[in-house]
Amino acid sequence: MIVWLALPFIQRAVLAGLILGALLAILGIFVVLRRMAFFSDGIAHASLAGVAVGVLADTNPLFTALGISTILAVIMAWLERKTKVASDAIVGLIFTGGMATGVILLALKSGYQPELVSFLFGNILSIQWSELWLMAVLAALIVAFLLLNYKRLALMVLNPEIAHLSGVPVTLYQTLLYVTVAASAVLGIKMLGVALLSALLIVPVSTAKLIAKSFRSLMLWSVIMSELTVIAGIALSIQLNLPTGAVIVICGLILFLVTLAGSKLFNR
Amino acid sequence: MDAVSVKNLKIRYGSHVVLNGLNFEIEKGNIAAVIGPNGSGKTMLFKALLGLIPYEGEIKIFQKSIKNALKRIAYVPQHFDFDRTLPITVDEILSFASNGKSINAKEICREVSVDILAEKLIGDLSGGQLQRVLIAQALIKDPDLLFLDEPSAGIDIEGSKAFYDLIKHINKEHDVTILLISHEMSMVSDLADQILCLNRDLVCNGPPREVLTKKVLDKLYGPEMNIREHKHL
Repeated sequence: MIVWLALPFIQRAVLAGLILGALLAILGIFVVLRRMAFFSDGIAHASLAGVAVGVLADTNPLFTALGISTILAVIMAWLERKTKVASDAIVGLIFTGGMATGVILLALKSGYQPELVSFLFGNILSIQWSELWLMAVLAALIVAFLLLNYKRLALMVLNPEIAHLSGVPVTLYQTLLYVTVAASAVLGIKMLGVALLSALLIVPVSTAKLIAKSFRSLMLWSVIMSELTVIAGIALSIQLNLPTGAVIVICGLILFLVTLAGSKLFNR
Repeated sequence: MDAVSVKNLKIRYGSHVVLNGLNFEIEKGNIAAVIGPNGSGKTMLFKALLGLIPYEGEIKIFQKSIKNALKRIAYVPQHFDFDRTLPITVDEILSFASNGKSINAKEICREVSVDILAEKLIGDLSGGQLQRVLIAQALIKDPDLLFLDEPSAGIDIEGSKAFYDLIKHINKEHDVTILLISHEMSMVSDLADQILCLNRDLVCNGPPREVLTKKVLDKLYGPEMNIREHKHL
């Protein structure tokens, strides 16, 4: 791994992994707390429409996917508030609508579509400096928002009525949470692909829950578990010449199982 | 002075009228109880009074609009659904609600016997303990008006008695006006200064001894309903 670290594309991959690991771990707490794993999965799939727009317009698909998924997140928050359609049905509509639009748009472009494979399974080793910078800036903004507002967000998720009476602008925070999950999901697609993205939102938090004794320690342990998972995943995938996203997910699951066994033994 | 003043309140759910032309006042310092069968609009009334749903008519809290009175209102919900495996301590949930603004949080926790639970995870609390934590989060705001939505649901009889004693204490010692929804007729008839009977319309409004008549109860719940005196209160 140390030898590999001399290579710029490995440096970029490790940096991107560490940034996304911390971001998805902290955000994952709210995803688990609000039981919105399907939302993150849905918005990630729907962002294929944005990827396709980028491919057709000959611009970086990451940028267009970010823009379109942010708009979709705002629409979903609005539909949830203003209509009687159930939340999971709204996610289903956006999920399938976005993917279908993406497939149709990609069909308009002839030839092999490497972006489609990258969208499905991720390709962190192909990350460019411009993408890394965008990731770093966006992740810093989102993490700062989450850390500065975690009490308000947690209260809003636990009970919106109490949050409202405690002065939390619930509608605004709800929409902001959706937008941050959407943007983070799109950033995560670059690393894990849409098929595996939810793993890094859910697995590190689930592992951290086994040992954390408070909400603050849950945030700390989630980040530690996520970073360990990402570093181990990247190192092993390079060593074994296997797909990075999938190896990261397997590392996360192994860490979960080891922690589960350890906590059972320790609590006997 | 009225803590709550409601004029011609009408609430719709789609084309369905849930509450129709309600008029009532709750005097400052009183304990008022809202009773009525399931689906009578009690929770909708609470939501309107908390500014959570649209309504027609006029609602004034301490002679101000709901938005301008929000800081003086606290609320204890009936349901507090959460993933019980999530590690959130009692101390943390109280700090979420107060956002570090309360100066008397420790004193309030001691008063409602929540101080001994500070390090406990909320997922490990019993129904009665969780209810006390929710009361503490409400009192930390130092409210003038407290809304309680079926506060003793899921608590055993002894716990329920202790809980209603606590409500009395909060009302008298903290000078907090209390508006609560309850199905426990015997408890509220002893506890409340004012009863509001709802069944889409306001069926009764006044002191319990005057308004809880057989005729009113028949109208609300049918002829099988009667009130048994509660020996503990």
